[in-house]
Amino acid sequence: MTSPATTSTSRWARGVVLPVAAVLAVMVFALNSSGYVVTVIGFAAIYAIFVTGLNFFMGYTGQASFGQNAFAALGGYGSAILSGNYYWDPLLALVVSMAFAGVVAAIVGYPTLKLRGHYLAMATFALGLITYEISIEWTGLTSGYMGISGIPPLGVGRYELGTEKQMLVALTAFLLLGVWISTRLRDSRFGRALRAIAGSEPAAQALGINVARYKLMAFVVAALYASCAGSLFAHFVGFISPEVFGGAMVIQSFTMLFLGGIGTTWGPVIGALMVLMLPEFLRGLKELQDVVYSCVLVMILIFAPKGLAGLVALIPTRRAPAAPRPAEAK
Amino acid sequence: MLQRHMTALAVAVGLTALAQPGFAQDTYKIGSAVGLTGYAAASDRAWRDGQALAVEALNAKGGLLGKKVEYIAEDNRSEPQEAVVVYRKMMSNDKVNVFASGCVSAGNFAAAGAVVRAETPMVLCSILPPRPEEVKWAYSILPPPRFEMEARYNWLKANTQVRKIGIMHDPTPYAQLMRDVGVKSAQEAGFEVVAVESYKPDDVDMSVQIGRINAAGAGAIVKMGQGGSTVTIAKNIKQLGLEKMILLASLDDGAPLKAAGEELGERFMFVAPRVQIPAALQPGEPKEVAEAFLKIWREKFGDRDPNAGARGWDSVMVIAKAVQLANSFEGPKVRDAVEKISGFQGSFAKYNFSPEQHVGITENPYVIGVLRGGQFQVK
Repeated sequence: MTSPATTSTSRWARGVVLPVAAVLAVMVFALNSSGYVVTVIGFAAIYAIFVTGLNFFMGYTGQASFGQNAFAALGGYGSAILSGNYYWDPLLALVVSMAFAGVVAAIVGYPTLKLRGHYLAMATFALGLITYEISIEWTGLTSGYMGISGIPPLGVGRYELGTEKQMLVALTAFLLLGVWISTRLRDSRFGRALRAIAGSEPAAQALGINVARYKLMAFVVAALYASCAGSLFAHFVGFISPEVFGGAMVIQSFTMLFLGGIGTTWGPVIGALMVLMLPEFLRGLKELQDVVYSCVLVMILIFAPKGLAGLVALIPTRRAPAAPRPAEAK
Repeated sequence: MLQRHMTALAVAVGLTALAQPGFAQDTYKIGSAVGLTGYAAASDRAWRDGQALAVEALNAKGGLLGKKVEYIAEDNRSEPQEAVVVYRKMMSNDKVNVFASGCVSAGNFAAAGAVVRAETPMVLCSILPPRPEEVKWAYSILPPPRFEMEARYNWLKANTQVRKIGIMHDPTPYAQLMRDVGVKSAQEAGFEVVAVESYKPDDVDMSVQIGRINAAGAGAIVKMGQGGSTVTIAKNIKQLGLEKMILLASLDDGAPLKAAGEELGERFMFVAPRVQIPAALQPGEPKEVAEAFLKIWREKFGDRDPNAGARGWDSVMVIAKAVQLANSFEGPKVRDAVEKISGFQGSFAKYNFSPEQHVGITENPYVIGVLRGGQFQVK
């Protein structure tokens, strides 16, 4: 029999050490590679943050949101305008944009989250569409399809992350912080309440959980992550336009979530890396790239229905040698 | 155990493929980020094909300064994020020397910062990026929007009694620039703009906007934007029974122009470069250069519309000219040399670059075209 201490250590190694080591290994690989690899993995880190937030609402809480791109747009445009036009420190612009996105999420989510199932999905979808249209039409603020360029890289005061590799280190730090918060919240009272809601809303209500409040909180947390990702995109690329936060972002983030493993802590990170790196591996196939990419995605979903993170559970755990029986102990 | 080792090997091979650096440069590499899928596909595919033909033609003559020219095109899916990825791929893995990218303005803007830092010149199908330090390294093969407006206003004024017009535009940067020019220059040209309406390129019905323009008293719609929206507007005009409404469309691929012409007959007109209506080619050098391109284009693509292909061809020829002028492959020297290209006759237009003029087309290359007997002709 495995002792509780051994099980706990093994779980910790599998759930924390292994993924963190894997993320760091990928980042170290990127830092020793060309700008192309840095760019792809940088985007993967940004999307991983976005999807980790989405996982709060869709994975832990079991709700549907097709409109998180709206909050990424708020973050992206907030950072672009504050740091580009008003010369705020990028980090301060990022934090203020996140706060603004959180407030908007609370205001919008309060009435919207009274809906359930498909109705909630449609309402959030509309939220994404409205934000997208505003980013196109309000040209005085967003420059429409012309986009906003010249957004400074991340930095504080006079210190600026001048190269993409420095930016990638910062993105990794943001990502690990985001996943750490997600892990901590998942196992907290708040996280248990969310999982109860995902299981059954009436049952959670019967247990005394304020379902509406917790759903709203999960929505706001997801919006904060999305806004952070939007801001990081703006500072990483130095340019944003409405297409960045369009329907493709929603589809990609859903693919990442389900491919990586919805409801798992590290699934979004694995999904983001997979969805953004796989097409690059297949780029040499030219016209067949999309066909092979789609086939691989379908195969993964068939053979790993719980996502790639679910495969970790299949890794056999090395059991500690059984404790000697009293009779054998001499 | 074997399975685990195979998986590790596959991952290692994949990562190595992604990280593979460029090999020693024995060719001059022209990179092109093009929207082979997405909204820009129609024009960018033709742009790419024109470029590929131009590279073949250069290599057939021995290449550039003794080096073979290599052409690398990557699909940016008409999205800025993907554009950044493919630009980076071409810069760090393929080690391209110069960019000749397609018409996705936002994609070119998004990547411009990194391209400028790498001191790589860009000859673009799109409008120029907005920041001065980026404009320094970028050149445009696209005619300025005012030429399209001038051609249409001049024709309307000379040939019709229409003095009230409506403008319809999509939200792309080029169309927005043209809208501003159109509104600003209308009064000078003797027109009153009675309505300005916008649409999305994928809108399936524009009756409401057309109805408002008609109600405001316009006798013609000046449309800004490319693609199937032109056909939608033509169909809506017909469905609404507006039998006197004229539709003047933008520079576009031949397919939507033909479809729109079949709906409205000669009430549908469009701005066209002469290479799109070969009968309109002016004798002399313009005709010789355009026909040389058209001969190769038709051999390969038959009746396919040559408009965007001609611009793609010209972009490569402008780069070739710059390399010859610079007598060097170095980015800064090629950049400086493009500014010295003046009076260079391309298949689409004549190009006059200078330090202050990074949009090469300075003379109006357009005529007003119409579909007559299934063929494009000058109206």
